[in-house]
Amino acid sequence: MRVELKGITKRFGSFTANHQIDLVVEPGQIHCLLGENGAGKSTLMNVLFGLLHAEEGEILVNGEPVRFANSGEAVRHGIGMVHQHFMLVPVFTAAENVVLGFEPTKSFNRLDHKTASAKILELSKKFGLDVDPDAVVENLPIGLQQRVEILKALSHDAELLILDEPTAVLTPQEIDALMEIMRSLARDGKSILFITHKLKEVRAVADVITVIRQGRIIDSVAPTETENQLAALMVGREVNLIVHKESTELGDVVLELKDVVVRDDRGLAVVNGVSLDVHAGEIVALAGVQGNGQTELAEAISGLRHVESGTISLRGHDITNHTPRQILDAGLGHVPEDRQRDGLVLSMSLADNLVLNTPRRAPFARRGTRNLGAVDDNATVLVERFDIRTTGIDANAGSLSGGNQQKVIVARELSRPLTCFMASQPTRGLDVGSIEYVHRQIVNQRNEGLGIFIISSELDEVVALGDRIAVMYAGQITGIVDPSTNREDIGLLMAGSTVGTHD
Amino acid sequence: MTTLDTTTAITSTPKLREPVGRRRIIGILTVILGLFILLAFGVGSAAGAHSQFTFTPVNTSSGAPWHLAPLTLLTRWSNIVLGLITILVGVETWVRRPAGALVRFGVGGVLFFIALLLWSCRQPGPAPVSSLNFTSVLIGSLSIAMVLIYGSLSGVLCERAGVVNIAIEGQFIGGALAGAMIDSVTNSFWLAALVGILVGALIGWLLALLAVRYVADQIIIGVVIVTLMGSISSYLNIQVLAPYPNLNVGNNASNVAIPLISKIPIVGPALFNETMFFYAAIVLVALISFGLFRTRWGLRVRSVGEHPKAAESVGISVARVRYSTVILGGAVAGLGGVAFIAVQGQFQPGITSGYGYIALAAMIFGKWKPSGAVVASLLFGVSAYLVDALQNENVPIPTEFMTMFPYLVTIAVVAGLIGRVRPPASDGVPYKRD
Repeated sequence: MRVELKGITKRFGSFTANHQIDLVVEPGQIHCLLGENGAGKSTLMNVLFGLLHAEEGEILVNGEPVRFANSGEAVRHGIGMVHQHFMLVPVFTAAENVVLGFEPTKSFNRLDHKTASAKILELSKKFGLDVDPDAVVENLPIGLQQRVEILKALSHDAELLILDEPTAVLTPQEIDALMEIMRSLARDGKSILFITHKLKEVRAVADVITVIRQGRIIDSVAPTETENQLAALMVGREVNLIVHKESTELGDVVLELKDVVVRDDRGLAVVNGVSLDVHAGEIVALAGVQGNGQTELAEAISGLRHVESGTISLRGHDITNHTPRQILDAGLGHVPEDRQRDGLVLSMSLADNLVLNTPRRAPFARRGTRNLGAVDDNATVLVERFDIRTTGIDANAGSLSGGNQQKVIVARELSRPLTCFMASQPTRGLDVGSIEYVHRQIVNQRNEGLGIFIISSELDEVVALGDRIAVMYAGQITGIVDPSTNREDIGLLMAGSTVGTHD
Repeated sequence: MTTLDTTTAITSTPKLREPVGRRRIIGILTVILGLFILLAFGVGSAAGAHSQFTFTPVNTSSGAPWHLAPLTLLTRWSNIVLGLITILVGVETWVRRPAGALVRFGVGGVLFFIALLLWSCRQPGPAPVSSLNFTSVLIGSLSIAMVLIYGSLSGVLCERAGVVNIAIEGQFIGGALAGAMIDSVTNSFWLAALVGILVGALIGWLLALLAVRYVADQIIIGVVIVTLMGSISSYLNIQVLAPYPNLNVGNNASNVAIPLISKIPIVGPALFNETMFFYAAIVLVALISFGLFRTRWGLRVRSVGEHPKAAESVGISVARVRYSTVILGGAVAGLGGVAFIAVQGQFQPGITSGYGYIALAAMIFGKWKPSGAVVASLLFGVSAYLVDALQNENVPIPTEFMTMFPYLVTIAVVAGLIGRVRPPASDGVPYKRD
């Protein structure tokens, strides 16, 4: 199917998310839309899929102009979408999810499970996407859930498949499998629009790469371009993709985990006997696909979640199940995973957010009364030092961009003497400029002798920052490797295998 | 170098064991229940005391074709035996931690009620002078359970679609008021039922309008609607029903005996000689259960309650599904209000006495399933009836404890003590297209 976007413009109030976008996807083509977070990729796809309505421009399917009032109409025109956050009902079976909205029925409106399962098996076979139709989706690993999502689109006879950041939650092996699926679909004549900000993937799979920046199409290039060239197009300037690290002396152990067991809200032991130590002057990066216990481990270290057994100590001082206040005072700096929920109070000013962890202390408060002058002075200094772009220190934290919000948290945590600095997903959702900045800050702190613990599901980040890489799977550390280890091997560790590591 | 095997990499999934600790807790709770039966109702009754149950049906004019001799038991020893059985069941649950732990706890609960009945009607000396009519207990409990079933079905419908219906109490009041008036004027419970359904649906529509269209907080608007209905009914009671008593004559719906099976001893008169409202409740349970879990309609309703965005992405209108389901839920609760009148007779303000809220508790206890709601409604119905019955029999037992029972059970359930309860993922979360 040939799909053409002509002059698409989409505005949200005074903000133009898409400006005069022209794009053509040919039949059997894997067309990659490359752009940073916030460049307008998802907006454009939501317009194409009928979830949003463009102010200007038109969509042509096989040369015919179409207008989609809702996504159902887009689906009927042969457009399928695999969303970044899967549109699957977790408690339904794979079959129920695939047929939802287009259910085969028997008399009395009864669901026809047999026909539904048969249809899925037929599609699975045709495209090599093995899925058990009767498996409940929430029990499937992410990679298989994604297959269900793809099957769902195919079952509606999709001729154009939009994949929105499909690799964000996958292991390297799952990514390879997905790319194989994409190629086989393209061979079958399906068109694919692949949205991503990851340069490696683009070059591996795309036929054509279209770069989008600040809502505008910048260029269409071939996948033979180098990563640096693609990055420059995406960001609009030369980008240094390699983080420079000097060699440093290893110091004492600053963070020590011994056989830590932590349960999640459902009572499952999602951290199951983790032992790890972080020395002063090194960065230990914890890799792993999201949902393998990293979040709960970070919460346990920062005192937000009960430690069932095992010990956590900061420079030999036991902090297991201490309160977050005590742990902060013991010298842990913490950048939480969800910065908007756990890192900031969005409705409070920048200045107040910058003293959130020390509000009751001199000089910010005396005898229970806040010293607002000191709070403001502190903010002015940190805004300058950490290059936080804001209209003023009284601006709400919520009014800042994602990158600047992260700078606020990093500034706050690093503005006092620390024993250990822990950052969860430190650059999630940030633009390349902010990623560079945050990485540089982290490496600087390491060079100055701070012990640093990074938790990240981005393999690139883990490899770029870590002096040692620990890999977590199903609540356990499956291996601790050198950053020079081959990515395939790290990938296997992320999938739970310990094969191929010789450390 | 390792070779890549993508299939195993993808299909190997973290195996996390589900905790069985809760089953232990249920076992321990059952043991405690058994000990309570043994000590309070068994050892706690005098050595020579007797309890007598009679089984004469009270709701058949023609009388029963069977006659069961009154059952006389030694209170102390019967209850000691019941207590021991419960303790054994509890110990078995605690040791083996079986999947059916909750069912075993339920068995303990039933034995508890029987022991309580035995204890409450005990008489000193070998010759009992009064007795407890077991069939009456069943009939009375079922009539309360029926109302709770209507309410909890309404809750199940609305919450499965993602809208919390706190307004059930208000829909009860509306249905009861309309039902009493229409029946008084027309002398037809069929018409009363029809109007009650319409009134309930109208209140459901109001809830849906505020919850879906205006994205208001569902808990708050639900409470507001209950308060509104309470005030309206008080006003109409003073201004209309009091001056015109022929608008509130207080008929009861007549019983319809089902041939043959209504003659079954003990349970026949209780289950198969009931009003049409009772039978309608049973039919509704089956229909809603079938509808929610077997049909296309049900799949769509549940998808909207779990993940509305996913539903919208395949062309299902979340707003339309929520509107229609909440209106349907309101209609069911409205019918429940009429059923209340069919049992109680006259309408009075406050007549529903919080049953709308207990119905919500029953819905939670029943894990958002129609069948579960029935079990919970029966349990709560029995305890609510016993509160009344024991008061009338003037038994020296703190009835406050019995009144608390449904709420204590609900708190235990909601706190996750007995089994994991998982509401629909988007229950009470307004959906806005972005």
